This record gives sequence, structure tokens and C-alpha cells, in this order.
Amino acid sequence: MSEAVRCEGVAVRYLFATRDAVGPLTLHVAQGERVLLLGPSGCGKSTLLHSLTGLIPTAIPGDRRGGLHLFGQAVESRRPADWADRVAMLFQDADQTLAGFTVADEIAFALENRALSPAVMVARVEKAMAQTGLPTDWKGRRISTLSGGQKQLVALAALLAQGADLVVADEPTASLAPGAAKGVADLLLAPGKTVLIVDHRLGPILDLIDRVVVLGRCGRPLVEGPPGAVFASHGATLAEQGIWTPLATRLRLALAGQGVEVPAVLQVGELVPHLPRGLDLAPMLMPAPCPPGPEILRLHQADCAPPFGPVVLRDVSLALRAGEVLGILGPNGAGKSTLAACLAGLIPPRKGRREGPSGAIAFQNAEAHFSADSVQAECLAMGVPGAKVAALLADWGLAQVAGQHPFTLSMGQKRRLALALLTATDRWPVLVLDEPTAGLDHAGTTGVARHIRRLAASGKALAVITHDADFALSVCDRVIVLAHGGVQASGPARAVLRDVALLSRVGLAPPEAAPLLDWMETQERIAC
Amino acid sequence: MLSQLHPLPKMALCLIWIGASVLVFDLRFQVMTLTLAFGLLWGVERVALWKLLALMVPFALFGFGFLTTSVLFNKESGFALQMAQEQAMTSPDFSPGLVLFARALACGMVSALFALTTDPGQLVRALMVHLRLPASVGFALMQAMHLVPDLGREVQVLRMARAMRLGKPVRRMPGPREGMAVSIPLLAFAIRRASRAAVAMEARGLRPGQPRSQMQTQPFQKADWVFLGLGVAFLGLVIRVL
Repeated sequence: MSEAVRCEGVAVRYLFATRDAVGPLTLHVAQGERVLLLGPSGCGKSTLLHSLTGLIPTAIPGDRRGGLHLFGQAVESRRPADWADRVAMLFQDADQTLAGFTVADEIAFALENRALSPAVMVARVEKAMAQTGLPTDWKGRRISTLSGGQKQLVALAALLAQGADLVVADEPTASLAPGAAKGVADLLLAPGKTVLIVDHRLGPILDLIDRVVVLGRCGRPLVEGPPGAVFASHGATLAEQGIWTPLATRLRLALAGQGVEVPAVLQVGELVPHLPRGLDLAPMLMPAPCPPGPEILRLHQADCAPPFGPVVLRDVSLALRAGEVLGILGPNGAGKSTLAACLAGLIPPRKGRREGPSGAIAFQNAEAHFSADSVQAECLAMGVPGAKVAALLADWGLAQVAGQHPFTLSMGQKRRLALALLTATDRWPVLVLDEPTAGLDHAGTTGVARHIRRLAASGKALAVITHDADFALSVCDRVIVLAHGGVQASGPARAVLRDVALLSRVGLAPPEAAPLLDWMETQERIAC
Repeated sequence: MLSQLHPLPKMALCLIWIGASVLVFDLRFQVMTLTLAFGLLWGVERVALWKLLALMVPFALFGFGFLTTSVLFNKESGFALQMAQEQAMTSPDFSPGLVLFARALACGMVSALFALTTDPGQLVRALMVHLRLPASVGFALMQAMHLVPDLGREVQVLRMARAMRLGKPVRRMPGPREGMAVSIPLLAFAIRRASRAAVAMEARGLRPGQPRSQMQTQPFQKADWVFLGLGVAFLGLVIRVL
């Protein structure tokens, strides 16, 4: 099989950086092979993808060493834009990378750049829209009227229309609701395609991957091979590095710690038949039950709307208790962030009322919280006494970056700093976290989960907006599902997240742990 | 109806009328231009009255400056007003301040006529195809149009974060201090977004100076030229009658 990508000792260093962002590494991708590039946050995965067609150093200043070939041709022999005829790139944040004005413009953009004939372009655009399930009457729809998930689907349609020999995708499902993420993965990783993909969300893609290449914290290759073999033999090493592994692998390792041996499989469903009777899985999947505290916040028949925008949620009635973590789930554009602002009291409901103290939101864009020129100065500006700053930063794992500008931190560090600032004082008894784990590696996600439970134990009421049903299961006591302009379901996380009919009706997917929840239910019934 | 016309002849006609409005210092002409543009928008295009009135607010404020200067500071502004009056096609029967006020509104309404009946994407495409606007500039313009609503959303988040920090409710309209406080992070957001968009466009094959095709371009129709011809002829007739 001929090679699509050949990297020989490739290393990339950004301008003014003191060490390589990635590499040196050697990587080969054969034509027709689907390769997953895995690694902890900040190990240089996106940097490697950007250097594949020469965007680094041509468009992004940096220095690349080593030999890089695409389809047998040296990358630097062509300009990055010239490679668009053979390489299609899907970026993580479609919101910021779409070029066209309408949906049709966007899908045809790369084809127009290749000066293809209008007839060919029309046919390709229509085919790509059909493949991705975009309605045909969306052709003239303005991009700016689409939600984040819809924009990602349009970006995928544009990539499919490009018909390139190699697809390079950087976290393509990160901003998608689970139902949509599965559909995107199926299209992107269809058999026969040559794909190099970076994604933290393993669930939808694991069955579609031929080979995994794992980078370590230093940006060098750690291990590579078929997914089954890699996760079976190196699961523990990957977990130590804070890298995402399948839930089945994490569970196997946790059970091994308890002296329970189960086979190394990739899917949770395959693990279930091997679970010994009487095994208590609850501590591994869900938070420890705690008695609810007093009610501190209530929305009563509230209509929620963004500032200057139309009402997106009607007749919302819900209460939050001290020490409780409420999960807010829903498809893209369901109004989760608007509800967050209403819960925190930052936007008053258009109708109905909100009763309770002011709350705080940890915004998805953590940078919105920063106003000072160093991490330490941020803490002081928030009212943390000078003597306590060091302890606070150490508690959130930020001691080593105390003097850095907040904007220079990694995504995970920015999220932790925002949470540290919001919880450093007792100003806000209610905290709303908007997608706190988006783009984080496993270590970052478990760290956030640990902090959420710690804050709940300290008596704060928390609401967590998330797309990740497994994360919701692991930290939330209760969840609500938003869709169609209102609350569709509310109840204990375990019960709501097992309601497959409800979840599929609103475009969500059950958690990866669903077969384990079913198994637990069966065990409990037998015990009764 | 006007929305169906090709953007370029429509733009040419609007520019001609705006040019005439600048040259003809006659209140009747300004009022006629204003009425015509308003009538087309309200009567033919069914644009909501409140929207038209709201759009005219900045033009009215601008024109009001001339009006008040003319009425309250007639002596001090005498030279400027005299200069204005000495233009071609001047009718001396009305207060110059009133004419300038009406001119600001007339130019604003003609601009609104073009903006409210033209698809910005089609306009940029037409400029790229027919007036050789470089694709890199054209797509940069489209990015700027995407950026406006995104900046609006980002401003809301920044304002909420600031209100949270200060322990105050979010004000409906930001004050000057708040405006200053959010401007730097907003600028950082805009620069970062523009950089990412530029990289993405290059990755997808946009090359300055290279030939590219267009999937859909709005063709010129007979109606476009008829509209342009009638518009110019009517303008000539109005000037002649006045």
C-alpha cells in the first residue's frame, strides 16, 4: 500500500519557544488507513497537523525540522494552499474557520479555489449536503444564523465535497452533541478513506480506527498499533500520562486494582458478561450519594432569553440545593448557555421569577474571566488575600504558572484558573460551569470532576452544562434535558441517562457506561 | 422586487442619486429623494416602519447638527453655509441648514435602500467577478461580516464576566469605563479569530492572484438595466423640472 504521509524525525518549534512543541517523531500513514493521533493536552497534536501541509512555517511562524512527505512528494515543494487538491483539513472550531457567507458558498469554497466548473461544483455540493443530512433549502442560509453544531456539520460537508485523498481532522466532534458526533464520525472515517484524526472523544470513533499513534507529554511517540492492542497493553501507561482511554480500559484497570481480572476489550458491552456477580460498580461510575442541603435557588415558570434575543426556553421551573450538582444536557442550540445566565442571575427571566442569591458562571471561553496581567494578579484582583494566593494556586495545580499571563496558559490551565477565581471567595454560593471539560484530556477532565465534587461537598450548589453524558453521570446528582424550547426531563442522573427513547428524541446519545447501568439494575433486581 | 435585482446596477444607481443629492442644494430635491427611497422601502419592500426610523436616527443626528448650527449660530457658521449655498443647482428659497439636514436624511435613506435590498454575499461575489475585487479581499470582507455577530456575542460574555467580578448587574447599555474594559479582550478575540480564519482559508486552497471559479453568480438581467435606465432618466427629469 502506498504512503499518504511520511514524517521522518519531524520536530516543530514555535518562534521564541525554548523547546519543541512536538517531536522529533516518525509517522507513516498508508493510503486507505485511518489513524488516530492521541495524546495529552499540549503535546503538539494540532501543531503536527498544521505542519503537515506546510502551514507551519509558511502561515504560522515556527521552525520545522526533519523530512515530511505527502504522497511521495516533499511538503515544501508546494505552497500550503496548493495541497488543498489532495489534503482536506477539518478544524476544531468551525465557528472561527468558515469562509463563505452562505452554506452553499462555504461548501463550494475549496472547489472554487481549484477553479472547477460550476456544474461539477453544484453536483458535489448537493451530494455533500445529502451525505451530511443538511436540508437542501439551507443552500442560501447565512452561516451566521447556524448554531455551533450546525456549523461543524457544514464544515464536514465542505470537507466531503472537496473529495481529497487525505483527510486531516482536529477534534471534529468536540462541539457536537453525541448524536451528531456519531454521524460525523461515521462519515469522516468511512472504510477506504485515508484519515489522520485527533480526537479526545473516543466513543464514536474507536470502531472506525485502524491504528492509534500515542504521543507522550513531551510530544514524542509513546506507543502505536491497532486500538485493541494499544489499549490492552499500554492502558495503564496512557492513564498515567493523562491520555483518554476507552471506558472499558479504564474500568478494567480500576477493577484490576481491586483484584478483579476482566479481559482487555474496547467496548463496555463486551465487558459486561465478564463482570462478577455482586461487584459494586457505582463508586467507579457515579458520585457518592449525599443528603441534599437546603434549597438556595429557584426558577419559577421562567422564560429565558439572551440579551436582545428572542425567548429560547419557556416555563422553566427548577430548584438547586446546597451540595447538589445539576447536569444540564441538550442538543446544540437548545438554550443551555441562556439558562446558565438565568440561573446565575446575570440575565433576568423575561417572564416568571428567579429566587436566590447571585451566582457565577465559568464561561466556556475561560479568557472572559481574566483582566490582570498575571495569574497571581488575577487572584489578588478577585479579592484573595496575598498570603493565600500561593496555597490557592497550588490547590488547583497552577503554582508553576503564577507569574505567567493568563492568556498564555493551556486550555486546561485556563479552565482551572477560572474555576479557582470563582471559588476562591464565598461570594457565590451558586456556580454554573459551561462545558468545563471541552477539549481537555483525561487528566484535565478528572481534575475538573474532582474539584466539582469538592465544591459540592463544601456546600455550593453547582450546575454543569455538558455534552458528555459519561461526565454528567460521573459528577451530577440530577440532570435536566433541554430541547424544543423547554425542559424535557428532570431526575436522578442514572435514571434520565438510561432513557434511550428520550435521549434519541432530542438528538443525544446514552453514555458509554449505559450497558453497565443496565447490568447494575439487573444485579439490584436479583438482589431484591 | 428590489432584492431580486443585481447588486451592481443597483449600487451604481444609488451612488448616482447620492451624488446628485450632494450636488443639488435644493430642499425639494432632497425631500423628493427621501420620499422616493422611503416609499420604495416601505411601500414596495415592506420594510417595517420602526426599522426605517431607527436606521435614520444616526443620519438625523448628523443632519440635526447642521440644522442647529444654521439656526443658533447663523453668524459664526455663515462662511460654511455660504459655501454650501454657492454649489451648483442651488435653490435659495430655503434655510441652508434645513437643506443640509434633509440631504443627510436623503443620503441615509438611499443607502438604506441599497443595504436593505442587497444580499452582502452576492454583492461581494459580484465585486469579485465583475470589478476584479481580489478574492482574498472579498473573503476578508465576508469574514468581517461574520465577525460582527460573533463580536456581539463575545461582548455579552465579557460584560457578564465583568459584572460578576464587580458584583453588579449587567447594565442594558455599557458605560464608557465598561467599554474600555472590554475593548482589549475583544480586540484580542478579533485578532485571534482573524488569524485562524486566514490559516483555514489558506489550508482550503485560497491563493492570492490565482484564478478561481464561482459556483453561483447572479447573472445580469434585462430588468437590471431597465431599472438603472429608468432611475437615471427619472433623476434627469426631476433635476430638469426643479
